[in-house]
Amino acid sequence: MSLSYREKSLYASLVAELVVYGPYFFLHRQNSVNKVAGMIVAIIVLQIILQSIIAGFTRHRVTDERDRLIELRGYRAGYLTFVSLMALGLAMLWFHATVGHLHMDNRMMGLHFLSVFFGILVIADITKTATQIIAYRRAL
Amino acid sequence: MTQQELADRVGVTRQTVIAIEQDKYSPSLETAFKVAMVLGVSLEQCFQYEPHGKR
Repeated sequence: MSLSYREKSLYASLVAELVVYGPYFFLHRQNSVNKVAGMIVAIIVLQIILQSIIAGFTRHRVTDERDRLIELRGYRAGYLTFVSLMALGLAMLWFHATVGHLHMDNRMMGLHFLSVFFGILVIADITKTATQIIAYRRAL
Repeated sequence: MTQQELADRVGVTRQTVIAIEQDKYSPSLETAFKVAMVLGVSLEQCFQYEPHGKR
């Protein structure tokens, strides 16, 4: 399997996203602002390390029109996912606050919203990366 | 000429050359002209368009 520079970079991004976000959403029960901040730092550090290794081992680091087209498709898929989930999240929040009579103090509500918002961002990001990888595997 | 040499001279990746050869990607006009120019043939000799998905 012959992979271009962009494709290798995308696989590295997907691995970094799954390694960092996976444990956060599936192992930690209690979310906090510190954990979210720690995760953002972790993903940045891991991405820098992985992308540096790939750049170091790849001779032809060319990106062309096809790469840009695939990138646009990925961003479109990520954006649609983000907007859809955000609308769904807000609708659920409204439903719980009105019909469900959910009572939370302001701090808990803030943390809850932060966690949901961050989760939506992560899902949209993974969708973007996965869409691009699929497009590369299909040749477009 | 290898696929990599053609890709380098046109300014695209080898994977894009492969995708064009396999009819999985339609290049832009600019890239199509560059491919024809590098190969030393006319655009019509290099690329043909057939309706119903076949190029």
